[in-house]
Parts: sequence; structure tokens; C-alpha cells
Amino acid sequence: MTTITPLGRVVATERRPNTPHEFHFWTSLDSPVGVGTIVRVEGKYTINGTITRVYGVVVEGFSYSDLQSPLHDVLGHDGSPSAASLASTERAEIRLYTAAVLRQLPDEPLQPVPLGDVYLADDADIAVALRMDSYLAEGARTGIPIGVYHAGGTDAPIYLDADFLIGPEAAHLNITGVSGLATKTSAIEWILSSIFAHFPEQKGSVAALCFNVKGPDLCFLDEPGAIDDRDRALYEKCGVPAAPFENVQYYAPYKSDGISLNTLRSNDALLHNVNALTWGLREVLQYAEVLLNKDDVDAKADALIDFIRERIVDRDFSDELVLPGKRYRVRSFADLEQWFKDVLVALEHRGNESWRTHHVATIRKVRNRLSNISTRCAGLVTDDGNVGDLPFGSFQDRTVYVIDVASLEEDAQDLVFARIVTKLREHLEKRDLGVKHVIVFVDELNKYAPGDGQDTYVRKMLLDLAERGRYLGLVLFSAQQFRSQVHRRVVGNSGTALYGRMDADELATPGYSVLSPAVKTKLATLEKGQLMVRHPHFTQPIFVRFPRPAIMRGRDGAERYPQAQDITLATAVLRSLRPLDSTITLNWVQDVIEIHDDDAVIRARNATLLERPADVKRFFKSQLAPIVPPKAVSRPMATPIRSAPGDDPYGF
Amino acid sequence: MTVVLRAAMDQGLVALQRQLRTLAPDIALITDGEHALERTTPDTRPPRLVRAELAEGHALQARPVPGDPVAAFAAFLDGTQTSRVVAYVDGTPIVHGTVAAVVRSRRNRRLTTWRQPIVQRRLYVCLRALKPERRRLLEALGIRLVDTTPTSEDPAAHPYILQNDAVHRVQEDREEAERKLAEQWCTNERDPLFIDGSISGSDKIAVSACTVGVVKSHRTLYAEGDALQTIFSLRRGERSSVFRVTSPKRVPVASWYLRLRDSLGHDPMWGLVRVEIAYPTRNDLDAIGARADEVSLWTLAEVSPLALPDARWDKMVYGIHDCEEFLHAVT
Repeated sequence: MTTITPLGRVVATERRPNTPHEFHFWTSLDSPVGVGTIVRVEGKYTINGTITRVYGVVVEGFSYSDLQSPLHDVLGHDGSPSAASLASTERAEIRLYTAAVLRQLPDEPLQPVPLGDVYLADDADIAVALRMDSYLAEGARTGIPIGVYHAGGTDAPIYLDADFLIGPEAAHLNITGVSGLATKTSAIEWILSSIFAHFPEQKGSVAALCFNVKGPDLCFLDEPGAIDDRDRALYEKCGVPAAPFENVQYYAPYKSDGISLNTLRSNDALLHNVNALTWGLREVLQYAEVLLNKDDVDAKADALIDFIRERIVDRDFSDELVLPGKRYRVRSFADLEQWFKDVLVALEHRGNESWRTHHVATIRKVRNRLSNISTRCAGLVTDDGNVGDLPFGSFQDRTVYVIDVASLEEDAQDLVFARIVTKLREHLEKRDLGVKHVIVFVDELNKYAPGDGQDTYVRKMLLDLAERGRYLGLVLFSAQQFRSQVHRRVVGNSGTALYGRMDADELATPGYSVLSPAVKTKLATLEKGQLMVRHPHFTQPIFVRFPRPAIMRGRDGAERYPQAQDITLATAVLRSLRPLDSTITLNWVQDVIEIHDDDAVIRARNATLLERPADVKRFFKSQLAPIVPPKAVSRPMATPIRSAPGDDPYGF
Repeated sequence: MTVVLRAAMDQGLVALQRQLRTLAPDIALITDGEHALERTTPDTRPPRLVRAELAEGHALQARPVPGDPVAAFAAFLDGTQTSRVVAYVDGTPIVHGTVAAVVRSRRNRRLTTWRQPIVQRRLYVCLRALKPERRRLLEALGIRLVDTTPTSEDPAAHPYILQNDAVHRVQEDREEAERKLAEQWCTNERDPLFIDGSISGSDKIAVSACTVGVVKSHRTLYAEGDALQTIFSLRRGERSSVFRVTSPKRVPVASWYLRLRDSLGHDPMWGLVRVEIAYPTRNDLDAIGARADEVSLWTLAEVSPLALPDARWDKMVYGIHDCEEFLHAVT
């Protein structure tokens, strides 16, 4: 339906002519037009039998009066500003706007915008202006609501095209904005909710994997949060349920003690879906280059690591020449350490300086670096091998997997990124992940994919993900404070870009030069819950409002569910084994582990978690070395020494 | 009255000239965009002093206007005219005249157009000076012709005289347009209307209680001797005593001088206007002073905002400036 009353008129002068991509119009002083408002221009003449219709979005505004000099106003009011309000008449004033063309109908021939009446765009106009009509058609609907466009009396949902958000046409989303306004994380949570609600069935399944890199932001995605009526109206308008995520699985490594999970979501009430994330030697060695400094590990060391990866780990190994009689099957850091030790001792004894072309110094160096990994990534990397991992192969549709790496060291975070994303890619290539599409959310992209600095494995991985992920269904949703400082290929490959409130310094960088000063000003003053959206279908950025996520905010969650204090070993074991066998009690655990040392208990727990046996109690007990009860040793009766005959010195 | 000056000839004029060229290629068109005739035609009226009959007191005095200014005018009326020679036909100037008038009413301190403004475009020609086929040619242009042939003089006059006659006819049309709008206002509205210029030209307007004429030009000063010095020495916010302005062809009105702005450093008539209102009946004559004070306060309220960049901003109120800007846009 069209608005009957025009709110403005297109004007053009020789100095300021209209073009095919830009036009100017004036409005009354009380019109609801502002920067970001979408308008429709009705032409007066037909082209090829069609009356031209132009859609545009306001990108600049001007206001001026008939004053030629500010001095005239000063003189007119005797230099007293208060006198101005007493003037009997207000000066003639104009509101002149510049709009960027969103779409022209007919598309051809492309002509300058004609003079004509300007109307506020309604819902139908906005769908046409933003070319949403092509993907909102019944039967082929691929629209994902991103928010609501609001201007005047118009509240129109704005949709992104799933084909251009999740792939395969384009993919990836990047959001930028200043910290502390709860915009970036909230927007991602809202968009994931929207995707889960609207992702077309025919396009298959979709899951999200979020790396929680700071604070408790993503730790309570399954807990309801407070929203108000305005938010509810936005949810209703967009057709998205105002509810937290139904299916969320959390993964976190252990703390260095190997007992408590290293996450802010450690409250007893929330542990039902928190899983341990621990990897062993095999998993880590595949990504050794993530953890090892390139300056440190030269080609010789790299060759030895390759040798260990290919020939030692998880293989039966023997070397009769150097390690005679010894058989190795290295499955853990502990095994590897023993192997290194034996090799080096043998070389020392033999006086050899090299082993299988690897110099002893290189062996010592690699031993040092690899052994150090389990220390640097304590809690994530265990001596006992892979204990807890993501359910690669059985990912569930519309499920959020949160990997809490907020408390990990930087190296460990890099390892987590590298391994998980690589595994996702491998499984998606083989089509056996369990879902067809995975959205990977990475915050703080400034840190993980900076535009300058040393090339890191994680940055290369993110670049690869941004450039090739969409063909696999692997989609990167990323966020950062300073888009200008992120690698250009990462943000450049993001088909959809969102902008929250921006820092003025950031807006002054060349990447924002395409935006008008008015749009920049609006970006610098955006409220919470407002975004500027760029999407392949939209020829100009559009401002939308999105609701607060119906999810408990991290800060609220941290207050309501305080982090658990460090727990006892028995409690840790109970928490680990309870999901496997609900009959296990704390008393039972205490009884079983009472006499064993902590390391043995942890090893037994890890082995049980790895095996996931049918009889958990029995298996767990079997993993603990049996304690042999002490037996009283009876002293054997001493046989008396026969006395030698006096006449027989030999005793015969 | 205001003369609208344009840097270039407007499109209506150019279209008319194109028609003329098509119909009669031999006619000498004026295409160099010369100045409007109002600018080149000097005002031949001699400046004069006229003794006026006082309506308030026995001698013309300076009177401070008591009280604070009050914004009481509901609307402003002004007209514009512009005349140009589009061609010379056998030495006779063909003058294109545009007259316009508008009432801009004030609501919530903002000015909007009251009813329909008047815009007229005509050709002013001394038809008796033209051959019949030339007359028919002009009649075929589809624009209204106004015959400016003087009734008592030889039509074969100097072209400049014919131009002047045409300009005067344009002026008459402009005054007629203003009068028409003012009479409409008096018929339909009761709130005060600020009219740029004299109100004495119309029987209906000159006696209406809702019209106030404000005259900016002072070629005729209604004072002599000491009275003239009194007017020149009026200070800001002061008015003269009320006097009666009469003319053989005009309706008598009550009038007084009012100083809108301090003239220190300027000529004596800087910031000086002459206000006209309906002349009171004999019964109301005693109250003419109070009425003059009241209308003066209304007028003083209009000194802000300034009518700059208009050169006459010292005497022109912003509402009239707005009328001119409007007419400039639509003519």
C-alpha cells in the first residue's frame, strides 16, 4: 500500500543535479525523514510504458535558512540569543536531503532520478527497494530476519538472504562496533536465534559453534533473560521465538589441576550440558605448528616432529640397534617422554651424535618443546590421550556448541581454534559431521586475524575459512572492535557486514570513506540495539533495530549462577561419571578412590570417559591399580648348622 | 511593490520570443537579457513636502510608543512586478510584464500562503502604433495583450515613452492584484493584515479595521518646517502624532511616522516607515492616539528577524521579505 500524501519533492539544480545513483529532495520541517530513511520517488513520465519509480535511502541532510550571513541573525537579535525566541516570525528554513538510490524500476534504461513526489516507503516498498522480493517469495523463501527498519509509521522486518548469509552464493558475517555496548554479542545471539527459526528446511541442517573468548558472555545461552514489550514486539514482527536456545552444549578444558572445569559456567545447576574438552598427544601433534614457534622449530626439528607423528605415535615402534629389546606404542605425552628418554640415554651410552639422521641436539630440542606443550596447555592437553572432544559426526541440527576458551592461555586458544575448525572442515568435506552447515563464531578478530603482524596458523586458518568455507557449509561469523585492523581478506569475504556504534577514530579510516558524513555521524551515535547492515542484495547500508536476546546476559548469569569453588577430587570424579551412570554417588566415589593417589584417580576417570563403558563402576574400579593387602611374612625356620666332627674337618 | 530582478530572462519569456521568431523572423528580438524596465525607468515623481492635517493634538510631536511590541499581524501582503522588452516591432517596444501578489499568513510563527497567489503574465503594447498584421501576429501568441496607447497623445511617440507607459500599466496591474487579495482578506478574515505600501487606493481596504499599510518610500513627506525636524529626530520606538493623508483620487487615511531602528550614522529616513490605517469616524477620533500606539507596537514587533539580505531591510519587515521570496520562486 502506498502512502497517499507525499512528504517531499525531488529537486535538482545545475549545481546539484540528480544522477542515476543519487538524488535530492526537500521536505516539510516536521517530516519523519532522517538519515537512513527509505523513500520512494514517483516519476511523472513513462519509460517503455512504465512510470519510473525510484527507491532511495537518505544518506545526507541539510538545513539552511534565507540568511546570507550569521551576522545578520546576530544583528537582528541585538546579539542576544534569548531575543531570538521572541521574534514574531521564524525564518524560512529548508530541510534538504540527499538519498542514495537503492533501486530503479524499470531497471533499464538507467537514468537520472526524475523530479517527482517523494513518499515514505512502506513495507512493500522496502521489500522491493532492498530486492528482498526475490527471496521472500512463497515456496522459495530464504529470508532470515535481521531486524526491523523503523521510520515514520513504517516498521518493516528486514531479511537477509540465507543463500548469501550461510552460502553457497556468498557467506560469512562480520560485525564491528565499540566494546561495552553489548551490541556485538547480542547481535550474534539474535541472528543465531533468527537463523534457527527461519533457516529453510530444504537447505538442510545448521548448527552453531561459538568460541567464548572472554568473560561469561556466551555462558548462559540456554537460560532465559529479561526482555521488555518493545523487544517482544520486535520478536513478533520478525517471527522469531523470544526464548533462549533450546539445545546448547558447552565444552571447556580442565583447570591445570585436572579436576575442575575451567569455565565460568561451573555452577552445579548448569553442569548438565557442560563437557570436558581435553586432548591427548595425537590430537595435539597434528597441530604442533600452532604451538611451536617457527623461529624455534627449524626444518630439522620439523622433520623430527613429522617422523614422530608418522612413525612413533600410535604405532608399534622398535629399534633393535639403538633400543634393543624395547617395544613402544606411544599414545600419550608420558609415553613420548619415556621414548625420548630412552633414545637419548641410548645415544649417550653409544656415544652417537645422531639417530636416524636426527642430531641429538635436535632431538633434545624437540623433546623440550613437545614436553612443554602439556605444561603450557595444562587442562586442555593431558598425558592420557583424548578424553573429551566435540561430537564430530553427530552434530545436531539447531544446536549451539560453545567452546569456552576464555580462561586458556593464548597458545591453548590457538590450538583449540585450529583443531576444531580443521576437524569441522574435514567432516564437512566428508559430509559426515551430522549437520550440513556450521556457523563458527569468533570474537576479537582483531586479535586472531589482524591485518598486520606475523602470519599465524590461526590467521591462515581463518583466511581459509573465509575464502573457501562457504563451499563446504562452514560459515564464519566474526566480531571485532576495529574492522580496519582485521585482515582485509577476512572481512572482505564477509558477504554481510553489521556495524554497531563506531568509534570516531575508526570511522576516520579509509575503509569507511564510502559512507557519507551523516551516516558516519549516525554510526557514531547508534543506540544499543541498532545496527547498520550491508548485504549483497542491498545496494546501500540499511539501519535496523534488533531485540535484546531473550537470553540471560553474561553478567546476570555470573551473579545468579556463581562460579563453583574448587571442588574435591571425589566431586570432580562424580561430576564426570554421573552423566555415564546416574547411580554413582559421592560416597561410592569416595570409597573407591580413598586409598589411591590423585594422579591414579584422574587417569582412571579419563580412561572411563574415553571408553564410556556399559558398566561404569566396574570399569572405573578396574582402572585403579589394585592395592594388595599386606600379608604377614613368616620367618622360615632356620636350619641349625650341623657341627663338624672334630676329627673330620670337611664334615663328611 | 517590489521589482523582481533576474540575472537572466526567464523561460516564459524565452518561449514567447521563440514563438515570435517563428511567426515573424524579421522582428528584432531582445535576447541579451537586459535589466528589467523597472530598474532602468527612473521615478519621475519629484520629492515633495506636503502639509498634513493633524488628527492627534495640535502640533506634530514625537511620542514614545508605550508598552512591549506585540506580534498581532496574522498575515502579510505584497506584490511584485517585472517588465522587459521582448522585441521591437517597427520601432514599437513589446513589453512582457509579470505581476504577482500573495498573502502569507502566520501560524505558529511560520509563514504559509493564504489562498491562491495571483500571477499574471501579459504583453503591454501600444497597439495603435502597430500595423494591423502586426497586431494580429501578437494576438496569435496566445498571451493577453494590454493596449498602452495613451488616450490623449500621439501614438507615434518616442519608444522610451512607450516603455514608460507600459511599465506604468504593469504597475497598475500589480496594484490591482494586491488590491484584489487585500479585499479578499477583508471579506473573509478579521485579523490584522500587514500591507506593504499604502492602503488608500481602495475604498474597501482603506476603511477596513483589519488592514495596516506600511509605506517605506518617502518621496512625499507629510510634514513641513519644525514638524519635519520632529520626524527626522524620531528615535527608535517613537512615533509622530497622527495626521490625515488625503489625495484627490484616494481615500483619506490616518497616518503617522514610526522609527523602527535607530538611525544614528544613517540618513534621517533610515528605519523610518509611515503607517496607514483607516481614518476613524468622528466618534472615534479621540481614540486615534491609542490606536496608533497599538498598531505601532504591532509594527515594532516585526523588526525581528531582519529582512536581510534585502537592501531595504531597515524598513522592510521579514513577513514582506518572505512574500517577495515566495513570489520570486513562483514567477
